[in-house]
Amino acid sequence: MLVSRVVIALLTLPWVVGCVGNAGGDLFEFEAYGKGPDDAIFGEPYRFTTGRDYQVQLDRAVLHVGALYLNRAQQTSVGSDTSCTLPGIYSAEVTTGRDLDLLSSEQQPFPELGHGTDDTARTGEVWLTGGDVYAESDPTVIFDVKGSAEKDGIAYPFSGKLTISTNRKVTPQNPALPGSKPLCKERVVSPIAMDLSPVPGASLVLTVDPQKIFANVEFSELERIDDDPPEYRIRDDDGDQPSLNVYNGIRASVGVYAFDWRITSK
Amino acid sequence: MLVGWFLGAVVVLASTLASAQAVILPKPRQPPEVAMPASLGRTEDALVPLTLTVNQDGTVSEVSVEESQGDAIDQAAVAAASQWRFDPALREGKPVAVRVRALVHLVAPPPPAATPAKIESSPTDTPVSAAAPPLPAPPAVPAPDQPQNNQPHQNQAGTGTAPADRPAAVTVQGRARPTQHGSSDFVVPVGRLQAVPRKNASELLTLAPGIFLSNEGGAGHAERVYLRGFDAREGQDIEFTVGGVPINESGNLHGNGFADLHFIIPELVHSLRVLEGPFDPRQGNYAVAGSADYDLGLEQRGLTAKFTTGSFGTERLLLLFGPTDASIHSFGGVEVQKSDGYGQNRDQRLARAMGQYQGSLGKNGSFRLGAAAYGTRYHSAGVLRQDDLDQGRVGFYDTYDPRQGGDATRFHVYGDVESRSGRTTLYQQVFLIRRSMRLRENFTGFLLDQQLGRQQPHDQRGDLFDTYMDEDTLGARGFARSEGQALGQRQELELGYFARADRVSATRQRIDANTGDPYVTDTDLASTLGDIGLYLDGTVRPIPRVAVRGGLRADLFTFDVLDRCAVKDVSRPSSDNPPGDASCLSQQRFGVYREPTERSSTAAIQTMPRASLLLGPFQSFLFSVSYGTGVRSIDPNYITEDVGTPFASISAYEGGVSYAHGWGPVGMSARSVFFVTHVDRDLIFSESEGRNLVGGGTTRTGWVGAVRVTGGHFDQSANVTLVRSTFDDTHLLVPYVPDLVLRSDSSVWTELPLRLGGQRMTGSLSAGVSYIGRRALPYGQSSHTIFTIDPGASLKWQPFELGLEVTNLLDTRYRLAEYNFVSDFHSQSAPTLVPARHFVAGSPRTVLLSLSVTLGGS
Repeated sequence: MLVSRVVIALLTLPWVVGCVGNAGGDLFEFEAYGKGPDDAIFGEPYRFTTGRDYQVQLDRAVLHVGALYLNRAQQTSVGSDTSCTLPGIYSAEVTTGRDLDLLSSEQQPFPELGHGTDDTARTGEVWLTGGDVYAESDPTVIFDVKGSAEKDGIAYPFSGKLTISTNRKVTPQNPALPGSKPLCKERVVSPIAMDLSPVPGASLVLTVDPQKIFANVEFSELERIDDDPPEYRIRDDDGDQPSLNVYNGIRASVGVYAFDWRITSK
Repeated sequence: MLVGWFLGAVVVLASTLASAQAVILPKPRQPPEVAMPASLGRTEDALVPLTLTVNQDGTVSEVSVEESQGDAIDQAAVAAASQWRFDPALREGKPVAVRVRALVHLVAPPPPAATPAKIESSPTDTPVSAAAPPLPAPPAVPAPDQPQNNQPHQNQAGTGTAPADRPAAVTVQGRARPTQHGSSDFVVPVGRLQAVPRKNASELLTLAPGIFLSNEGGAGHAERVYLRGFDAREGQDIEFTVGGVPINESGNLHGNGFADLHFIIPELVHSLRVLEGPFDPRQGNYAVAGSADYDLGLEQRGLTAKFTTGSFGTERLLLLFGPTDASIHSFGGVEVQKSDGYGQNRDQRLARAMGQYQGSLGKNGSFRLGAAAYGTRYHSAGVLRQDDLDQGRVGFYDTYDPRQGGDATRFHVYGDVESRSGRTTLYQQVFLIRRSMRLRENFTGFLLDQQLGRQQPHDQRGDLFDTYMDEDTLGARGFARSEGQALGQRQELELGYFARADRVSATRQRIDANTGDPYVTDTDLASTLGDIGLYLDGTVRPIPRVAVRGGLRADLFTFDVLDRCAVKDVSRPSSDNPPGDASCLSQQRFGVYREPTERSSTAAIQTMPRASLLLGPFQSFLFSVSYGTGVRSIDPNYITEDVGTPFASISAYEGGVSYAHGWGPVGMSARSVFFVTHVDRDLIFSESEGRNLVGGGTTRTGWVGAVRVTGGHFDQSANVTLVRSTFDDTHLLVPYVPDLVLRSDSSVWTELPLRLGGQRMTGSLSAGVSYIGRRALPYGQSSHTIFTIDPGASLKWQPFELGLEVTNLLDTRYRLAEYNFVSDFHSQSAPTLVPARHFVAGSPRTVLLSLSVTLGGS
């Protein structure tokens, strides 16, 4: 009977609704690298002129990067948030750190793969930490630098090892806001503006420009620690303005750090 | 005038049979001759379908005509049938009143070659199926010893005596059952499939198609239920009841509508009615994906003691009592159980007790009184990160946070009365529930504790949520159902109501991982919630084999919520009176004082039309199309003063066909259903909140197939569900919902050629097989599949029974739940802030041995 046939068809019709399909986005792993500026040559000093007309030669510049993050959200204000992690969703992370030689344009690999989603990133972060970003004390040398600056015929040899520890603690002025200057914020360089979409098979590359770190440093006002020969020190605290400017330089979210996805040769 | 012998026929399509105890049909003693009234001047015979009651003494009463053939003929048929005498129907050897459908053959005067006595079946509205409700006969006068139950129709259930050419079974008198509303209305007797290994009463839901259960919260945590493309979480999209007593918890902070079924002793579940879709006007709040009602009963009478022991230090002692002179709906049960659990941090202790008594109120009524008590304490392992497992930082059955777990209690009492007055059945139930729950879960590790400027500097103190809820519920429900004749057909109308009041106190705090102290209060609510519903449900039969069933429901939801922590932050805190680390503030900007509490009230009415069109049966096939709307009240957390629509609305459509037929002792039923469901404000799981949050609209489209075959020595149930769930705006798949669910339950039993002490042994084998297809996950991923086999075996001799149950026979390492989200459990050198795969480990192979003894009873 027709009825029976129709019914049998309904009873046995397998409806394939398709494969599992897509719930949006994608997760992937990637290699990550850090490097100095493209015109830096490994093993050779790096020379540049600052905005204050200092001719600077860097003989050593090593930056310790604890972690890298990219975030989907576009941050509207640099200092408004007291949290050390941004609101919005992070789209990429590299959670193992390394020391970067800023005097080399060679890509220096981070020890482990990073993880990410295929979302476009609007904000980047560089975490300058040796371990726990919330730790009160962190003895890790974040920036180890040695070089010389010259202006008007006068040379200012300098060196410095900067840490971000209790020496960077900021006491809030408003007693109602004791937590408004958490130490962890000192260790997070953010927001680094970008508009970056991941490229399949590409690696995340962080480029650090040491020239921008010293853009506003008045080397003649550094602490002089020796006379013969003269030697100047970048202090590991806020004791003088040039030392503070170097510290602010490594934490500058504009100009110093740049992220990119690159197809790298292995 | 020749009058042929005729025999009143007992109608074919039986809808109810005891699963383990067959009913012996009533046998006519001496069928009366029925002559066509000569005054009518008819020369042709007439067939008049009737419904009548065969009483316990074999007499006939309450004769009603199903399809009129004319007043005079009807009167003759009724008069004749009223004179019949039967050997009454027997159940357990005792006479029981039964309601049967019969066909009276009025024989016209000559010719001499009169037709022989005919036994014919008369059409019914619904074909018999294991998953079909009883025949839509008028509700019978209830009798205390006569439960209603459902199975595929069997000729005699192994014990009948009707002739083979008269396939028959009877509708045993008992309590009124809801009428079938569409092809997705499954009434599932547990029966012999009770032998299939299951961990708890929740898993009995898998006897209905399309249900997948997971649990990330531990043995004492309610199961997460997936049904037809819905992630119903712990019951937020399914209306759960036990004997009509609500289980869903309004105002539960973990999820509004949270339904913990663990207070139910699995052995006391007699049957379930699972209606997949909001098609019955009786369905109320939370019936978005559908509803499930547990009907309790104990087939085994006498006193049964059962001890179980096995893997992971599991020990269970169960005592069941079924008075031999009472119906299966009179019972008592008490259980204590403990287990160390598999892997880390999965131990549990629990105890539960349930009891019910069903008594009669004269000839036309019955009542039930019942109570339940439950308590448990447990730990849970929570989720693990896949990358930590891959790197060897954790084991598959480990835990990150051993503080996870909880405890729960439930106490409820209820009473109901059902009576019949003429053609009207009246029902009234009241219930009182006391429930408490504490739950500690940590999905995200150390991620959510943001530094606020007004707080002392702190690091991430940990995301362990400590949620506590206690609730008192008082409610009632009732209906009046009446039947009558119109258009030559039987018509029915039911008017009913539901009322429920809840007082809920709920708090959620986060616990410091270093000190164990709460460091922030996220939520602190005191809510008074109300739900009053009215419904009209009718069945209109304009012509034979066509029924329009449905009606309208309207619910009023009231919310009065006192937020005891209404101010959690202030943008310009007072420097003279800094709020510091306090969670619940009593100041506004610049220190202006305000009370820390705030009350919000609102109410709204939702009307929900529901209708089904049933066609048939045609050669055992019944076709149906259904439409319905449902509602889910919103979490009190989201209540805003005078915002008028605090709920999500659902529209559902389906079309399907049912089939039921019997061949001797074997009965088979099958269903095929296509469905579409739309939700305007769906609930989407948030791992950072550890609960469902209101999201956007979603649509589900799918197909369900189910079959059940039973015989004298076997019972086989199988079902498959295919579904596609998508977001309305992006058309992306709704995550976590399985697109394919396959389930098979099998049981065989027989007497063995073994004797001990001259007494035979009986043995049984059973198996449950599940296959869950891949589930879409966020970020373009998909989960693993799940395939498990759970066999069981038993050997019975005299009052003793030895049983063996194995779950996950293949000992597969399957992931009961998988997610992609952000967490930071401090397992790596820097915080992990990018979404990653997480999973909840399913149970490894578990072996349990049980010994039971039954004294008395049958």
